[in-house]
Amino acid sequence: MSFTAFYKRNLGFYKLAIASNLEYRMNFFMDALLQPSITSIVEMVLWMAIFKGAQATTIGGFEQNSYLAYALWATFIARATVNWTYEFKMIEEIDQGSINGLLVRPMSYYEYYLSQLLGYKSITTGFSLLFPIGIILATGLPTQWDRFPAAMLLVFYYLFFVYSISFCIASLAFFFNKVQSLTVSKNLAMWLVTGELFPLDLMPDYLRKIFLMLPFSSGVYVPIGFLTGRIGWEFLWHGFASVTVGIIFFSALGAFLWQKGMKTYAGTGA
Amino acid sequence: MPAPVLKKYGSIFAAIAKASLIAEIEFRLNFVMKIINDIFWYAAQIFTFEVLFRHTNLIGDWNLQQTRVFLGVLFIVDAFYMTFIQENLDRFSEKVRKGELDLLLTKPVNSQFMITFARISVSCLGNLIIAISWFAWSLSQLPDFNWMKGLWILLLVPTGFAVMYGIRFSIAAMAVVFVRVDSMQYVWYQLYRLGMRPDSIYMPWLKFILLTIIPVGLIASVPARAVLNPPELWVFAWSLIAGPLFVAFSAWFWKQCLLRYQSSSS
Repeated sequence: MSFTAFYKRNLGFYKLAIASNLEYRMNFFMDALLQPSITSIVEMVLWMAIFKGAQATTIGGFEQNSYLAYALWATFIARATVNWTYEFKMIEEIDQGSINGLLVRPMSYYEYYLSQLLGYKSITTGFSLLFPIGIILATGLPTQWDRFPAAMLLVFYYLFFVYSISFCIASLAFFFNKVQSLTVSKNLAMWLVTGELFPLDLMPDYLRKIFLMLPFSSGVYVPIGFLTGRIGWEFLWHGFASVTVGIIFFSALGAFLWQKGMKTYAGTGA
Repeated sequence: MPAPVLKKYGSIFAAIAKASLIAEIEFRLNFVMKIINDIFWYAAQIFTFEVLFRHTNLIGDWNLQQTRVFLGVLFIVDAFYMTFIQENLDRFSEKVRKGELDLLLTKPVNSQFMITFARISVSCLGNLIIAISWFAWSLSQLPDFNWMKGLWILLLVPTGFAVMYGIRFSIAAMAVVFVRVDSMQYVWYQLYRLGMRPDSIYMPWLKFILLTIIPVGLIASVPARAVLNPPELWVFAWSLIAGPLFVAFSAWFWKQCLLRYQSSSS
């Protein structure tokens, strides 16, 4: 298989995701902008109330503005690094047998949805980040712009990790059919361990150490903490390393589950 | 409502509950995972506030013990919502698109009733037990708590739930007119999110809006306030009025939407 064919094919999947997500503009607007905007406003208001209640200028060594910047970025980055739509689609296709139509095509199922996920995320993230960028520029909340490219690179790299997990869960549908609840469980757990709810440095010390060691923290806490100046470059490098280990682990697990699943798959519902 | 009508709807509801239970336990892993998911969700909410209160004594005007009570009320209302409504209204837009509404409209039962209770998430009933247990425990942690105040809950939780239902159903009903209203569903979840935080954290003008125009504050904050703070009678009176009002509005709005229905499947 030539690289050109591989590239063109995946570019096609990538563009397909962009086109299909822009088809319903109102949905796109809500998904990319309105939802995370409201969430971030609620979280920022919560942090203001926390500082007011604490009657302190710093919490955990950081000022209110640092938390406001974190809350603002976290909502948007968390949405960029979570996978609901395509994971549900994959599970449903395997469960209902409509995957048959994709299996006979000259491509791999893995690349088909990976490219689509990247297409979807690039269009929604690119658009939605305009909001926090605008707010930060207008209010001067702490953000180190020179770190922005490196932080976004980690976010992009993390998507491969997220997709590897999605592929594992979707492959379980070969054995258990309806496994959508696993997606919900996984994403709820990630909600906590990525640092979306609050910066991980506020956690009890032993939990913070564990969560920082895991690749999940690279979904929100590491890029945002790095971008807002809470943590340094060493955490970013560690983030890249742990995500790499995570990708290798979950890709291997996904390949194993897929092969086993294909052997048990009967193709019913086609 | 006359007794035979009540009996009819009671038996329909019982049949739906039975069918839902059978359908849910067919996929056991999914059934178990649904229960675990909700425990995760509760744990995440609790954990968030427990961690935040390690760094402050007050959030809004509530301390940790009071916030636990607020979470208890939120969990109870949410458990009812998850059990009876969520799945049905989340999927309603899809049903309209696929033309399944036509069949439903031909049945000799109230269509709003059938849409609301088409399927019951039996697994979520476990949530209710967890939510009530958490709520009772959180009340027991309050110093000098007068249990008579807990009676307010019996009034204000159902009205909060009714408000929630009224808003959510009206948003879902728009699918009849606009067909694809997934985005409105997102709006609902964001409004609901505003109600998932104690109303005292909001600025006075926003708090007023969340108690009156978009009354998501009535879902959990007002019932929690009833057992925690001195009674604010105008808020309680408004809550008691708002519940039936929003349900009645949803029924009226549903009829208006049906007048504009063009049948997707035909």
